Amino acid sequence: MRVLVVEDEKKTASFIRKALQAEGFAVDVCHDGDDALAAARATPFDGIVLDIMLPGRDGLSVLRQLRERKNTTPVLLLSARGEVNERVEGLDAGADDYLPKPFELAELVARVRALTRRSGENKSIVLRVADLTLDTVTHRAQRGGADIELTAREYRLLEFLMRSPGRLCGRMMILEKVWDYDFDPGTNLVDVYIRRLREKIDAKFEAKLLHTARGAGYLLKDQS
Amino acid sequence: MTIRTRLTFWYAGVLTASLLVIGVGTYRELDEQLRHDRHRKPEEHAILETGELVVEVGLPAILLGLLGGWWLTRKALAPVSKLTEAVEKIHERNLRDPLSRTGNGDELDRLTEVFNRMLARLNGSFNRTREFTLHASHELKTPLTVLCGETETALRDESHSASERERAASLLDELRRLARIVDGLTLLAKADAGQVALKLEPVRLDELVRDNFADAQILAEPRGIQVELAACEEVSTRGDRHRLRQLLLNLADNAVKYNQPQGRVTMSLRRADDAAEFTIANTGPGIPPEMLPRVFDRFFRGDPAHSPAVDGCGLGLSIVQWIASAHDGSVKIESVPEKLTTVTVRFPLLEVRL
Repeated sequence: MRVLVVEDEKKTASFIRKALQAEGFAVDVCHDGDDALAAARATPFDGIVLDIMLPGRDGLSVLRQLRERKNTTPVLLLSARGEVNERVEGLDAGADDYLPKPFELAELVARVRALTRRSGENKSIVLRVADLTLDTVTHRAQRGGADIELTAREYRLLEFLMRSPGRLCGRMMILEKVWDYDFDPGTNLVDVYIRRLREKIDAKFEAKLLHTARGAGYLLKDQS
Repeated sequence: MTIRTRLTFWYAGVLTASLLVIGVGTYRELDEQLRHDRHRKPEEHAILETGELVVEVGLPAILLGLLGGWWLTRKALAPVSKLTEAVEKIHERNLRDPLSRTGNGDELDRLTEVFNRMLARLNGSFNRTREFTLHASHELKTPLTVLCGETETALRDESHSASERERAASLLDELRRLARIVDGLTLLAKADAGQVALKLEPVRLDELVRDNFADAQILAEPRGIQVELAACEEVSTRGDRHRLRQLLLNLADNAVKYNQPQGRVTMSLRRADDAAEFTIANTGPGIPPEMLPRVFDRFFRGDPAHSPAVDGCGLGLSIVQWIASAHDGSVKIESVPEKLTTVTVRFPLLEVRL
């Protein structure tokens, strides 16, 4: 997996590169829009992390140019302005995801991974992690053959986690996909829901499936 | 007493004095004439003649003069009333609109001109403050991004000791709080500058409230607080779904945070006259009356000695107020300390079947 990071702020570019490399991505870095366009033309990347504020040609313009040239590489926009209008504008211009600054690194990595593996998402009707199953049609959850009662929100949270097993999901990403919040509510909503979900699916079992990555997010995986 | 009444009184005084002078003059003249007139009838007395003259001619003249004066002052002062009306409508959001001038160069026109110049200066300084907040919050984001990134990297670096990583984790919590404050500040600064566009569409408020009720129950559970939905009538408004949810969640979060253990939160959504009214009431220490008017102020925290240590960005209610007013709604808060604190938000009703 090869990712292009376009960010003019050197330090930010550097830790994004390190974090993505640590996750096994090959990373190229550009510091301005024109270089980014040239690089994207020369190399087929699996994903692009694109800052909106760039010297010279800005990120949105780079993105529009790419899409005009039928380049469909998934793009994650970064922005320091973090405004709803800008998010809509970015997605309209052809971005696949949007992350306001300051972001959490884990969140960024999780999103880049989701972006580059979009096609690999589990689309089956019955989702399965170890002995936990979730039927996405009947909304029935079972573990070890026993039914688990879920509220509508808990169901959506579990479905979201189960669709990308073993993959870290950041708090903002969960808020966006499960709650459809485009703002950080500044509450511990996600943590409390995770705790409840954990009680329902993990409490009675030896093998724990729902894990917390401190300061990063949550993931569902089969330890064995 | 208005200037107009005062002027009319003075005017009346002056007229009366002139009438007296005229009366005295007439009396003297008449007396002189009558003295020289040999054929004077006994009933023809100067003082009586004068009296008649004053009453029959002078008084109506005074009355006419008074009415005329009343009308004149009104005409003269009308621009002042207009100016007062216009000035009354000025608030921090329309400083850039100057008052309209008559352009005839009189005293009041000059006053308007001077006032407009003052408005322009005020507007400039308001703008500079707004821009400062906007730029400051924007400038803070880059270093914050770097700080968060570096701290997170340190947190996940296996070569660091457990205590070092613990420190990084607690640093990261504070950085997140800082990031939320900066986010809130940016949002409010943009709202002040009129740069936030709401995506307005018909919204079923009862659906949002039910959703919010479910979240509030979850937030309240760890503290043993009971959340109740007393009423949830089917009402709609025209609004921005995301912002409305943000408003509801902020209020629910406050109602839980500033509550007491085993306390209560009661929400309701009702149709009230021509508005949709959402109320949320919570038990808890409440807010002293002298602080109520200030709770919507940015970063207002009340008396630190009396409020329990609660984390939050200090901008929640300011954001609630902005969202309500951006929807042509209103928000008010009432509190009986140690009993109940109630927040009421009203939105214009949208009469449509969805």
